Amino acid sequence: MSEPLLEIKDLFARVGDKEIIKGLNLKINRGEIHAIMGPNGAGKSSLSYILSGKDNYEVTSGKVLFKGKNLLSLSTEERAHAGLFLSMQSPIEIPGVAVSNFLKQAVNSVRKANNEPELDMLSFMKLLKTEAQKLQISPEMLKRFVNVGFSGGEKKRFETLQMALLKPDFCILDEIDSGVDIDALKTISEGINTLKNENNAFLIITHHEQLLQQIVPDYVHIFADGQIIKTGDKTLAHEVEESGYGKFPSKE
Amino acid sequence: MDSPLIKNVNLFLDDKPSVFALRNKARIALDSIGFPTLKTEAWKYTDIKELINKDFNINTEENTCSHECCHHHNEDTSFIEIRFCNGKLHVEEYNMPEGITLTPLPLALFDDDYKKYFFNAFNLEKHPFAALNGLYLEQGICIHIEKNTSLNKPILIKYNQKDCDNLQLSIHNLIILEKGAKLELIEDFTSASENTYFTNTVNEVYLKTESELTHYKIQKENSKSYHIALNAIKQQEKSSYKQYYLSDGAKLSRQETLVNLDQQNANAEIYSAYKAKKNCTTDITTNINHLVENTNSNQYAKGVLEEDSTAVFQGKIHIAPNAVKTSGHQLHKALYLSDSAKLNCKPELEIYADDVKCSHGASCGELDKEQLFYLLSRGIEKHTAIKLLTDAHLEELLSLIPNPKIKELFFGFE
Repeated sequence: MSEPLLEIKDLFARVGDKEIIKGLNLKINRGEIHAIMGPNGAGKSSLSYILSGKDNYEVTSGKVLFKGKNLLSLSTEERAHAGLFLSMQSPIEIPGVAVSNFLKQAVNSVRKANNEPELDMLSFMKLLKTEAQKLQISPEMLKRFVNVGFSGGEKKRFETLQMALLKPDFCILDEIDSGVDIDALKTISEGINTLKNENNAFLIITHHEQLLQQIVPDYVHIFADGQIIKTGDKTLAHEVEESGYGKFPSKE
Repeated sequence: MDSPLIKNVNLFLDDKPSVFALRNKARIALDSIGFPTLKTEAWKYTDIKELINKDFNINTEENTCSHECCHHHNEDTSFIEIRFCNGKLHVEEYNMPEGITLTPLPLALFDDDYKKYFFNAFNLEKHPFAALNGLYLEQGICIHIEKNTSLNKPILIKYNQKDCDNLQLSIHNLIILEKGAKLELIEDFTSASENTYFTNTVNEVYLKTESELTHYKIQKENSKSYHIALNAIKQQEKSSYKQYYLSDGAKLSRQETLVNLDQQNANAEIYSAYKAKKNCTTDITTNINHLVENTNSNQYAKGVLEEDSTAVFQGKIHIAPNAVKTSGHQLHKALYLSDSAKLNCKPELEIYADDVKCSHGASCGELDKEQLFYLLSRGIEKHTAIKLLTDAHLEELLSLIPNPKIKELFFGFE
């Protein structure tokens, strides 16, 4: 079998003085969808920040291999160039930075890093128009500043649009269902299902089984107190929905 | 005090008594006040010691620009273009609509109609560099707009500094708008050279009743040059002055704006955006005098400070004892990219009247780390991400520019 796309081995990490990841092991192969569920404060979002290399998140021991290479030695932008994408729980508003300019810079930075020719304005706009239409993103929205004045659903559709344009191999979706109404969730899920293929993989962080009925995971992990305490298939998500996290005791 | 900036040179028209008298008036003023030091209140944050000890030359050989390169006409017909090359006016036939007169300064100096406008919008004894400029009074343009006249396109003054090594360039413009006249004026300073030089400009602006001037200035001199400028504006009843300034160059620059709101319902708005670059000093100084009741002013400045840069923002609002029902507001927001940047912000409110509305505010902060992370996580290189965010900081201010064609000129900064 080929090497895993992402492999986390005995990972310990902290933010400031606080230990947040306490011995995490996880292997994700190409073509797989993994879901992480867990109570608030368990360290799920922290895990996504550690994988994207955010400042102040410090790995104290353990390894993360991405495509067989040490992910932790790369800067945030290099991780994006390597094919990692984090869809944030609360996408950041950036007044003064126009959506189209931001997207063009991102697309061309990634292309450049991968020795692909950069897109000129015309071909970029053409690509943007096509992908935006699929996600029901209006041309008017593309004229605004990044995430400024976007509704909850628009913010998550915009995150999905970025995935469609950047074509990452590995996407972390941190609560892509939060702040999103039922119709927008359907558009977003359809968008993501279209992006999925045998070469890429998704890690979905969520509280709700509903999302996992639309983007069906191969594996569901219960995450508590900085580690995975149980792994199963999609029925595990249903179990959580029925009876909460209380029945899963932390490992000692 | 002796400074090599003050030279005894024979200038064009020195033999004309009226012209000589003006230059001499400036010389006497400068002799009596001398150059400022760090002990001078208005100059306490901007160190000009290096500048005033520079031995710059004055080009007395030519009094107009005769460069070949200037002869081709600009293709862009969105503007009426006036060009200065290395500080010398490129004289050409302007096909101006009726009511609009462009007069090269040497001719304006002889014109009795214009005589009264020289050194009248400011006090020579309070502005040493404007006095220095007056010493070399020769280059400039006089723009005169007749009563109730307006142009259908802006006037663009281009200052090309391309071959001016070790020169001191002095330019003095008069801008006169008669009653109800309207004008959009752009000044664009660019240098396509690595020369070290000193640009010293003065604009005297006279806005008669109900006239409107929108004044844009883009300062992109090279990082070895010095740029000192005074805009002095006198405003009559119901006149409006709007200034949009971008400081994006020069080793040391100071833009001083002096507004005298002489009559009721005169309105002045000053918007300044600056990028203080590594090892450079950017100074923005304003002086708004509310001299009568019912006058309004608003100032907004935003800046970005790179490492080892210095920025100065001094904003003075003076409200005379009888100037009731006036409003004067001022706001300054700075973004610093490094701990080694130095920002000096000095708001001064001198209020001698009751029943006025005045405010001032200043803030400074670092780049937003969450915004930076968001951009980096999308693969955008760090230097590009920082540029996007600093441009965004200035975008809020530059987006206030009403004319989209002019807005384009402001963007695309380094």
